[in-house]
Amino acid sequence: MDILYSIYEVLWFVLIVLTGIALIEGYFYYHFKFHDKRWFYPVALAAFPLAAAALVRAVGLAEDPVRPFLWFLGSEALITVFFRNVVKGKNTLAYMLLAPAFIGLALLLVYPFIFEIYLSFHDLKLTTIMAWKATGHLPFVGLRQYVDVFTTSPLSEVTFWALLGRTLWWTFINVFFHVAGGFALALLLNNNIRFKGFYRTLLVIPWAMPQVVAVLAMRGEFHSQYGFINIMLVRLTTAFPWLATLGIGPVQWLSNYPLTTCTIINIWLGIPFMMVVILGGLQSISSSYYDAADIDGASYFQKLRYITIPLIRPVLMPAITLGTVWTFNNINVIYLVTGQSGGTERADILVSALYKAAFTYNRYSYSAAFAIVIFAILFFVSVFYLKSFDAAKEER
Amino acid sequence: MKKPRSESSSPAIPLPIPLPAVINKEAAAFRRKKTIKYLLIHLAIIAFAVVCVYPLLRILSISIRPGDKLISTDLSLIPDGASFAAYVRLIKETLFLRWLWNSLLITVATSFIGVSLASTAAYAFSRFKFGGKKGGLILLLSTQMIPAGMLILPLFLMIMKLGLMNTYLGMIIAYSVSSLPFSIWILKGYYDTIPRSLEEAALVDGTSQLGAFYRIILPLSTPALSIAFLFNFTTAWNEYLVARVVLFSSKQYTWTLGLFELQGQYITQWGMFAAGSMLVTVPVLMVFLYSSKWLISGLTLGSVKG
Repeated sequence: MDILYSIYEVLWFVLIVLTGIALIEGYFYYHFKFHDKRWFYPVALAAFPLAAAALVRAVGLAEDPVRPFLWFLGSEALITVFFRNVVKGKNTLAYMLLAPAFIGLALLLVYPFIFEIYLSFHDLKLTTIMAWKATGHLPFVGLRQYVDVFTTSPLSEVTFWALLGRTLWWTFINVFFHVAGGFALALLLNNNIRFKGFYRTLLVIPWAMPQVVAVLAMRGEFHSQYGFINIMLVRLTTAFPWLATLGIGPVQWLSNYPLTTCTIINIWLGIPFMMVVILGGLQSISSSYYDAADIDGASYFQKLRYITIPLIRPVLMPAITLGTVWTFNNINVIYLVTGQSGGTERADILVSALYKAAFTYNRYSYSAAFAIVIFAILFFVSVFYLKSFDAAKEER
Repeated sequence: MKKPRSESSSPAIPLPIPLPAVINKEAAAFRRKKTIKYLLIHLAIIAFAVVCVYPLLRILSISIRPGDKLISTDLSLIPDGASFAAYVRLIKETLFLRWLWNSLLITVATSFIGVSLASTAAYAFSRFKFGGKKGGLILLLSTQMIPAGMLILPLFLMIMKLGLMNTYLGMIIAYSVSSLPFSIWILKGYYDTIPRSLEEAALVDGTSQLGAFYRIILPLSTPALSIAFLFNFTTAWNEYLVARVVLFSSKQYTWTLGLFELQGQYITQWGMFAAGSMLVTVPVLMVFLYSSKWLISGLTLGSVKG
């Protein structure tokens, strides 16, 4: 019964979405097709605001439908004027094809973004959330949340600046090892060897596994007693007792070195992607370059330096950009390793602290301001990066 | 049709004079060096491959351990007294099947909505010239810059305000557009490769532009559509962070939440956790290995063009 009910629930929702799309398309169709008819204004101004107000009343968003009606009437007037005098029914089909996707994006990507900016200037936290749910009203606090981001800790003790430094370090180390490891593996695989396809399949497994499973499994391997790494360390020290005198022995990975643990896990996860991308780049290099270099008597490293690296740059640069953004924004690994109750905050980077501030500490407005700050950092870094990328392009 | 005979089948020309012994020796040394080189390459790759695969094998071996030896420092891959008891327990004692079912429903619904929205929008971007086309494409790319973690909070508050906490609908709403920009990019790239003359011929024969899209472009782009579907599917299927805050009763959990529950900090249900991981990972691995080639080309295509 449960299963039948759940299917019914989802189908019902899909049906609502389809109806919504049909309504939107009908609305646009009217404005595109009949913009030059004499009855365009009166019909539009009468029908659409009334229908919208009725819908608002039926859904229960507003008790009194008069104010929404006036609001819809005003906006409909603007829209009709716009369609009659500016659009004039041009590109009907293109816009109608785009409409559902862009309305979806506007509602679920752009609107949340604007809502987050709104939140960051107000005060929504656990004590004000019930009032907000009932009335929709929030106290305005100006820039206080932004000041708090820089002066108080997002979690319980770590500061914003420590998080920022840790994030940069985490991003650099991870991307460096992803590229280095991926490059080494791709060079190895690019030889004319047997079982190439088989090896490639084995090597992409960390990337192909569901991330939750991969991270949780690796986390298990770092367990202080039953994880693979400590079992090996214990066996090593029992086999060679002199190692213990050098200070080698089982390590409390999760409680003493959480950031190192997360970094190792994330490096393990990220190498296959880089390997596959770089391998694709390597395979597209024509072997005639290498033949010519061989005739000139170039050494292996000269060939690497003067042929391979310049020729895979166009593949490598976007992959590094993508990898940097992904690593910077990686909540999954850190949250899955340290996220349980009693988890440490010594491994948190900006985005995982953001997630915890919002959902472990329930400081909603604070984390909205925090999110805007992180977004600004990412935005300026990427603008700067793109500028320098363009400059480098012009130089060549 | 007759196949042209290949040129390379001519027999090797025998050398008129035997090579001097020195050259033979050098050639042998060269060959030996080459064999050693290839041996080293194989060894290095195998070492890396072991690192990549070992955790998966460990999960497999833990999942078939007998119940009384779950927590042990044993490293052998096939334990003594191996059994599938953990799988049986997982299915009988936890809601694992229910979690899989929840994930499946949410994922299929989001992928369906996402791909249908993307397929039409990509067609508009591929075939029409209109005001705001470039702006729209840039908007699509720039949405990728917004950190994913940043939108979880406003989406969570919206879902709460709409009263959709702990429901499928809330999850579907939160997921449905997250892969939309990417899907539009792949599909647009694929539509661009389909020659326009096909549609023009159909238009001459009397269908509308929309009919041409539906009857010609859509059937021809089945590969790209299935890749977009798979991409939407895997993103939603493996998602954890949104599910964590929207769903709170274990009956509504997706499998990611369920597995995380099984691997608590102090009391870990190792056997059941491993069994569940295996059940989820094997199909995902197969789908991924099958589709990875296209996924990668889509990824790099989008970013190179941007």
